Amino acid sequence: MKSTISLYIIALPLLMLSCDDRNTAQLAPEYLYDAGNQKVIKSIINNKKGTIAMLYGNDLALENASKSLPKPNIGANYTLVTWKQKPMPQWYGTKMNGEIYSVEHLKVVQRNATQFAFDYDFQTGKGYQPGDGRPEEQQRIKFITSQRAAVFP
Amino acid sequence: MKKPGLKFYKSAAVVLTLIFVGMQISSPDIENPPVTSEIVAPADVKQILERACYDCHSNEAKVEWFDKIAPASFLIKRDIEEARSRFNFSEWDKNPAGVQELLLWEMVNAIEQGKMPLKRYQLAHPGGKVSESELAVLKKYVNTLPGRHKVDTARIVAQPSSSQKVSTPKTPVSLNGIPYSADYKNWKIISVTDKFDGGSMRIVYGNDIMVKAIGKRQLPFPDGARIVKVVWGKQAEDKEGNVLPGNFQNAQFMIKDSKKYSTTEGWGFAKFDGLDLKPAGKTILFEQTCANCHRLLAPENDFVFNVPTK
Repeated sequence: MKSTISLYIIALPLLMLSCDDRNTAQLAPEYLYDAGNQKVIKSIINNKKGTIAMLYGNDLALENASKSLPKPNIGANYTLVTWKQKPMPQWYGTKMNGEIYSVEHLKVVQRNATQFAFDYDFQTGKGYQPGDGRPEEQQRIKFITSQRAAVFP
Repeated sequence: MKKPGLKFYKSAAVVLTLIFVGMQISSPDIENPPVTSEIVAPADVKQILERACYDCHSNEAKVEWFDKIAPASFLIKRDIEEARSRFNFSEWDKNPAGVQELLLWEMVNAIEQGKMPLKRYQLAHPGGKVSESELAVLKKYVNTLPGRHKVDTARIVAQPSSSQKVSTPKTPVSLNGIPYSADYKNWKIISVTDKFDGGSMRIVYGNDIMVKAIGKRQLPFPDGARIVKVVWGKQAEDKEGNVLPGNFQNAQFMIKDSKKYSTTEGWGFAKFDGLDLKPAGKTILFEQTCANCHRLLAPENDFVFNVPTK
C-alpha cells in the first residue's frame, strides 16, 4: 500500500508534465497541383471571390510575362490553378490554398501564316459549386496573357 | 523483496526536510529591472496583457508568496527569464516596429492554440486565463495594426542596385552555413498564401523528398526534405478583387536534417533579404528566433506552417 502511494506521488508530477499533448496533423496532398514542367509566373489573391491562384507557364509563356512583347509567343502554354482560400490552421492571420476550384489551360496556337489564335479550356475542381457559373472566355484570355511575371532574385 | 520499514520512511522524511530547508536558503530572488519603454496599446488590450502576460513577459512581475518557495521558485525564475528573452512589454521598443507587430500576432496565435499562458502558470494563478471574448479583443486589435492593410505602392524593382551587387559575394550564405540556392525554381509548389500580418503574399516550394512525403501523408518529414518560401509585397487590389505580387521581399529556407539541426527541431532555417539576398540575422541566434515560433505553434505539422493540411 505504502509503495503504491509513493508511486502515485512520483507519477503525479510526471502526468502534469506530459499534459503538453502533440497531435499530428492530417496532410492533404489533394490540395497540391502538379504543373509538370511549367514554371511559376506568379500567384494571385482574390479576396472578393475568396480564392488564391498560381499562374504557371512554359518558357515561351514566361518570356511573354517577363518582357513586353508586341504579341504573344506562338507556342506559349499557360496554366492558371485557382484554389478556394482557407485559414492556415496553425497561424491566425494567414489564408492559404484549400480545395482546387478550377484549372484553366491556355495555348497560343498558329491559325495561319500570319495569325495566331487562343485555345482556352476551363476545368472545375472539388471546390467548384454547380451554381458558380463559368468565366467569360475572352476576359480570361486577356487576364492570363496580360500578367507580368513576379520578380525573383 | 523485503519491504522498507518505518525506520526507512522516518529517515527519508528527515533527509527530504533537510533538502527542502536547504533549497529555501538557495532559493532565487525574482527581480524586476526598471521599465524602460512600456508597450502602448488601447486600455482594453493593455488590461488583458497586464493580467495574463505581465507576470512573466514584463519587468513588473507580481510574485506571490508561494512562488518564492523552492523548488517552484527555481522553475518560476527560469520561466520569467525565458519569457523576458522572447519579448518584454517593459522594454518593448527594443524590437523594431515590424517585429513588434509580428510578436503581437504570435501572441494571439499562442493564446488561441492554448499554448499561452503556460498551463503550470494558470494552475497557480487561476486569474491568468484569457477568455474567448478577451481573445476576440486581441484579434480585433492586431487587425488594426499598420501592417495589416499594407499595400506595396513602390515601383517594382527587378534587379539589385549595382552598388549592392558589387559588395555581395557570389553565393550568399546564412550565418548557420546554409547557402542560397536557386534550385527551388524547378521544384513543385506545396502552398500559396496571403499573410495579413506585415502584408505579404507567398509561394512555397518543396523539393522531391518533401512533395513525396506530403503525397504519402508522412509525418515527421524525412531528412533531405527542403522547403523554400518566396515572399512579395502586395499591390493594391484591382476592381475585380485581384491582388498581385509587388516587390520581392525575401526567400526563406527550411532544410530537414534531424542530426545536424537537432537544436532547432531538426530543421535548418535561413532567410535571405532583398534582391541582393542579404542573409538575415546579426548572430547565429537568429535561428532560435525562427525555431521558437515554429516549435510553439506548429508541432503538429513537424514544425512547418506552410504545408497543405485538412
